[in-house]
Amino acid sequence: MTLKTYFTPESQAEALSLKAEHGRDLWLMAGGTIFMHLINDGYIFPEQVMGLRRAGMDKVQVNGTAVIGAAATMTQMTQLTAYPLLQQAAHSVAGWAVRNMGTVGGNLFARAPYGDFGVALLALNASLKIETSTGARTISLAEFYNNGRQLAAEELVTEIHVPQQSGQTYFHKHSIRQANAPTIVAVAVNLMVTDARVSSATIALGGADQTPVRAQSAESVLAGAALTSETIAAAAEAAAEASNPITDAVASEWYRRKMVAVQLKRALSTLAGGDSTDA
Amino acid sequence: MASKIVTFTLNGRETEIIAHPLVTLQTVLRQQLNRTATKSGCNQGGCGSCTVLVDGEPMVSCLLPAADVDGRDITTLEGLGSADKLHPLQETFYEDYALQCGYCTPGMIMTAKALLEHNPTPSRNDIADAIAGNVCRCTGYVPILQAIEDAAQRLNGGDA
Repeated sequence: MTLKTYFTPESQAEALSLKAEHGRDLWLMAGGTIFMHLINDGYIFPEQVMGLRRAGMDKVQVNGTAVIGAAATMTQMTQLTAYPLLQQAAHSVAGWAVRNMGTVGGNLFARAPYGDFGVALLALNASLKIETSTGARTISLAEFYNNGRQLAAEELVTEIHVPQQSGQTYFHKHSIRQANAPTIVAVAVNLMVTDARVSSATIALGGADQTPVRAQSAESVLAGAALTSETIAAAAEAAAEASNPITDAVASEWYRRKMVAVQLKRALSTLAGGDSTDA
Repeated sequence: MASKIVTFTLNGRETEIIAHPLVTLQTVLRQQLNRTATKSGCNQGGCGSCTVLVDGEPMVSCLLPAADVDGRDITTLEGLGSADKLHPLQETFYEDYALQCGYCTPGMIMTAKALLEHNPTPSRNDIADAIAGNVCRCTGYVPILQAIEDAAQRLNGGDA
């Protein structure tokens, strides 16, 4: 067996120090809900692994903005009453036991079509604090995904910052079962309407590309427009056309693309006050 | 290889084991401690048959390194009731035909136990939501929902 050491640091400082010492030779896990499956089934053979469950990186503070420790669990997120969008997204992840283990930070690295919590974070313009033992930087979550989720060898994501949630929000994970199932397509929307026109629309999609993405062409269609069935249909089509979904055992690229349009149409129709079964 | 001594409370009893790096709590329970009520199903956290309680909260032991439970309080089905005196959940699962092959049952009961600690009077929706991570291939779930409802009543002093 190749595995030599499993580190369980008891502070963030210790975790950063270990990462500085071992760099990319140190594999990371927090809740283990992605990583341990790969170990159990022999997909990966690391020599050194660090578990972050006990490093005290799970604190959540809400003071206008939310500062969420990277090792905060999905269950903690279901309790975040100031952010109903995040509560819904967290609840859509797996089952109760896995939510007690899986973390916000881990979800950011989940392979497509997973990472549903990241979809909701993206719709709320979240940013990440990334630290080493000697410094820190902050980038937007969108930039993080666009850069292929790359981090330097000694870096750890330590915090997720989320601006105060305002306006209307909507989240739906379209899946093959009502719960505990992989994502076909996930939609998160944050909408503000002023004088019957869309003043702000942030749309994030899961299962529509290699990472959670913003549906920027759909957002452009909606900007300053009235939420009529025509604009909604146009936005939905724009999002579907711009998608690059994957094909896997759960759904084909063809079906995911169709579902992007259907689910976004339902999302926007619901927010506009219509019947979500119009789609 | 850097094995660790891991100490935890198992069903009320202080337990000490030598854990290879990343050995799962599931493996430790089933193979080192011969507590086989906790099952081995998918090894991916998707079926819930390996569910145990860690400080009262359900976790899937197949994804949980044993080293992570150092100092914690672990409960498995072996810690609920005994052959002479079944726990109400065990009684109702038996009486309501909430098991056939029985493989999902330990995970179902442990999840139900945690639910009833959090919420002694769950609605059927609450129960369905709580066991959404526990897969059953035999019963169609309805008898399981009924058994958990009935156990909740019994635990509250009712006579379901």
